[in-house]
Amino acid sequence: MGRRVILANSSLEKTIDKILDQTEQDVLASLDGALSDSHQALDDSVTKLEDEYDKIVADGRKEADKLEKQIVGGSDIEARNKQLLAVEDAVSRVFTKAVEEISNSDRSGDYANLIKTLLDESTQVLGTSEVIVFTNSKDRDVVQSTLANFAGSELSSETIECIGGVKIQSKDGAMKFDNTIDAKIDRLKPLIRKEIASKFGVKE
Amino acid sequence: MTTEGGVQYSKIAEIKGPLVVVDDVENAAFDELVEVETKDGERRLGKVLEVGNGKAIVQVFEGTTGLSISGTNAKFVGKVMEMPVSKEVLGRVFDGLGRPKDGLPDPIADQFIDINGEPMNPEQREYPKDFIQTGVSVIDGLITLVRGQKLPIFSGSGMSHNLLAAQIARQASVVGTDDDFAVVFAAIGVQYSEAEYFRKSLEESGALKRSVLFLNTADDPAIERIITPRVALTVAEYLAFELGMHVLVILTDMTNYAEALREISAAREEVPGRKGYPGYLYTDLSTLYERAGKLNGKKGSVTQVPILSMPSDDITHPIPDLTGYITEGQIVVGRDLFRQGVYPPINILMSLSRLMKDGIGEGSTRDDHSEIANQVYDAYSRAQEVRALAGIVGKAGLTEIDLKYMDVGDVFEKEFLSQATDENRTIEETLAILWKIVSKLPRNEITKIKDKFVDQYYQGE
Repeated sequence: MGRRVILANSSLEKTIDKILDQTEQDVLASLDGALSDSHQALDDSVTKLEDEYDKIVADGRKEADKLEKQIVGGSDIEARNKQLLAVEDAVSRVFTKAVEEISNSDRSGDYANLIKTLLDESTQVLGTSEVIVFTNSKDRDVVQSTLANFAGSELSSETIECIGGVKIQSKDGAMKFDNTIDAKIDRLKPLIRKEIASKFGVKE
Repeated sequence: MTTEGGVQYSKIAEIKGPLVVVDDVENAAFDELVEVETKDGERRLGKVLEVGNGKAIVQVFEGTTGLSISGTNAKFVGKVMEMPVSKEVLGRVFDGLGRPKDGLPDPIADQFIDINGEPMNPEQREYPKDFIQTGVSVIDGLITLVRGQKLPIFSGSGMSHNLLAAQIARQASVVGTDDDFAVVFAAIGVQYSEAEYFRKSLEESGALKRSVLFLNTADDPAIERIITPRVALTVAEYLAFELGMHVLVILTDMTNYAEALREISAAREEVPGRKGYPGYLYTDLSTLYERAGKLNGKKGSVTQVPILSMPSDDITHPIPDLTGYITEGQIVVGRDLFRQGVYPPINILMSLSRLMKDGIGEGSTRDDHSEIANQVYDAYSRAQEVRALAGIVGKAGLTEIDLKYMDVGDVFEKEFLSQATDENRTIEETLAILWKIVSKLPRNEITKIKDKFVDQYYQGE
């Protein structure tokens, strides 16, 4: 009886040991598997992480470039606009001063020649000297004396507001030509602006 | 620029639509600039359309509303319409006639140039072959734009062509060179909100610095629209051929230009052509489109992207039809893709850049560009066929390879075609996506690409 119990205990122990060994092996194998899986996952994630990192850096760089362009572009434009306004202001002041000087200039001497040239140009453009001439009150005398050279022309009793020069009109009123100094300045202004701006150091 | 004054005539015989007929006119010239002065002293600009028998027909750009036969004067200025140009025009905003619209003074002009432009000597034209990167994958990858090319965008009303135009204007650049690049943007008859969007979009992205904007809004007189593309192209030609810049000109919407042309033609009682457009619509459009190009011995180039909205999405309408004869390909915006919410909704199967083959490849983009683009065209075309088939037999009736092509179609639309409006993709990124799409197919389906490229870039299987 006692011997039988001992034998049974021994075989039970063997079985338990066997199961324990088997379980240990399974656990160790599974641990090994898990370890290699985790190594693999880690290796994979390193590549993914590096890719992701590169993407984040590239996106960041793009965004920074975009912001740089926005900021630099915006401030460049703002500075340029301020310069434009400053130059325009200076050009306007030059014009005002020049116009003031022309309107106060002496009407004697070469001025009569200028009026004759203006009348010549005007009658040529209209193709007739049968015209009515308009001028300002200051220039009336000079114009009146010059008109003797233009047969058929007459000086209007009306005066016009201008710095100087003449405005002519065909006698039927169908054609007009403005050859006042104001009109000349208007026509030349875009060219003169460039000259004045270059004096202020504005390059083309 | 002439500094002589002009004769003012006061005998107005007739005012008809946008036209004024002036009587007893001597020495007027075709295309001569005319200043029309109203009774109240308001001045409007116009140009001579016809002269003869002592009469001159003047087209008034700002319209004839408020003009009357008595009290209106027409001054023939003795020169054609000119645009003052200098490098200073960059960063400026002008109206449709080239007058400042940004509250700043007129630019200090370096030259005054006739807005009708000088015809390019065909013998001096250089074949366009350099790539322009727009940052929009579908254009750079499959419908590549080349410096000096004219490539129109055919769209329809309400579609996202203006978003695309603004995105191209913001992002476009020349790669692999230090040459200066500029964008001339002409908005023709657009809504005020659209004009503001264009202006803000360029301003906020910092791209305004290298751009010139011409804005003709829908409430501006229609006749001004005749001038807007011409002043824009004049500035572009100056920047390109005098200052050596590569200039991209975006003209939107050319349909509004053609409508204005029709209005004048109707007022002149000319015999109408198709849909009432004048018979010379083709010739007139060519005077604009042919101003794109490169010249031998000149550093710069003028590239044009005219945008037109096709009435009723009809590609056979005279405007897209005649435009297509003149330009070098077309980019077609698709209604179906637009409805699906795809941006930019470009239908690649109807689109084509005829000069693409010369502007891509080794030294321009990448040596595999042409072949990968062909393969993707082929695959997407097949995907469309499979989708049609699936509509009849159902997805269950498709073979495994059919399903792969269907997948290619989806990936193409979701990952390649779809792009955020502020997403600027480099050509390398674009080509990488194209390879990703092709890699969805088994290797034996890749028949249009050399093995060496497949070995290098294919990521499937």
